[in-house]
Amino acid sequence: MARGVFSLLFRTGIGSGSGGGGGNGDVFGKLLSDILVCPLSRQALRYCPDSQSLISDSIGVSFPIINGIPCLVPKDGKILEDQIKSTGNDDSAGADSGI
Amino acid sequence: MALQRTIRKLINSQNYLLPRGAAFLHSHATSFGFTEVNEEEKRKLVGNVFSSVASNYDLMNDLMSVGLHRLWKDKLISKLGPFPGMKHLDVAGGTGDIAFRVLESIRGVSHKAMHDSFAETEGQTQIFICDINPNMLNIGKKRATERGYTKNSYLHWVEGDAEALSFEDGSMDGYTIGFGIRNVTHIEKALAEAYRVLKQGGRFLCLELSHVELPIFKELYDYYSFSIIPTMGELVAGDKESYQYLVESIRQFPKQDVFAQMIVDAGFQAVEYENLVGGVVAIHSGLKL
Repeated sequence: MARGVFSLLFRTGIGSGSGGGGGNGDVFGKLLSDILVCPLSRQALRYCPDSQSLISDSIGVSFPIINGIPCLVPKDGKILEDQIKSTGNDDSAGADSGI
Repeated sequence: MALQRTIRKLINSQNYLLPRGAAFLHSHATSFGFTEVNEEEKRKLVGNVFSSVASNYDLMNDLMSVGLHRLWKDKLISKLGPFPGMKHLDVAGGTGDIAFRVLESIRGVSHKAMHDSFAETEGQTQIFICDINPNMLNIGKKRATERGYTKNSYLHWVEGDAEALSFEDGSMDGYTIGFGIRNVTHIEKALAEAYRVLKQGGRFLCLELSHVELPIFKELYDYYSFSIIPTMGELVAGDKESYQYLVESIRQFPKQDVFAQMIVDAGFQAVEYENLVGGVVAIHSGLKL
């Protein structure tokens, strides 16, 4: 019974509707850890809120999110140029974008 | 050794000796309706068709099928057997018809369950709508908002390629593709991807326009397809060519038996199909065991 109440609260916390913005971060975060992967490498994706994109670190490719819809078609992937990421891996993009 | 090589060369050079499926696959990948195109072209051309028809897509479906497409989709869902907490993937799901039905069906099941015990797993239901065309997805998302389906984030819209899905292996309980596989360039890749993303015990379902063989009905259906539909497309959507492509692509798609064999080749078991309206549409299903 108590568990049921908690799950109701959890749901209303996440459900932010269709608009773009902060709420989507939670949704993507949950999805990424569970199910969405890079269509090229099948490895995990990282959500980047600043550039509104999903990054496939394993091959150094980014996929845009447009209108709240992740565009994970292989040909939409952009190879990351030398970008200084907050994690500090600024020269990894050139090295391992080998598809 | 040399003999084996010679035999292999002989087989490869003569398409009709290959299993029927393989010869069909090559011609499907290079046909845009009745027009011969190269494989890269096909995807672009199909993309143009759906960008063009997107805004009238649902209306045209109602007109062309005299509303029957709704019943066909209902039938597809009844075969799927959605349940609360399921992870479902609808490919080529663009404007959302099938995904909405899955959601409604799960809600129906949950309401019944709640009378007995609290449906705790309902919060985990995730329905993914994957389509290669962003115009179709945007329309679907809008419709979802209009119908109030966005409240609990059960639906997720993803732009993706049926031939290279962005989902983990064995992550889906169900996979549906409605009126979409006909438009894919490499059917065998789409089927292989379907197999990959399904969990063990997962169900594959494909609803697609298919082949009519019944004697007089076939002639009537051909007349309707080639004379009435493109004209309707012109009048309603201002786009005769796209609907010409549509009816031609139906004829180019493998027949029910051949397609069923392709599904078997992808690894599915208990593969079967059911014709509706004498074969105007067919629902193919398979299980990943």
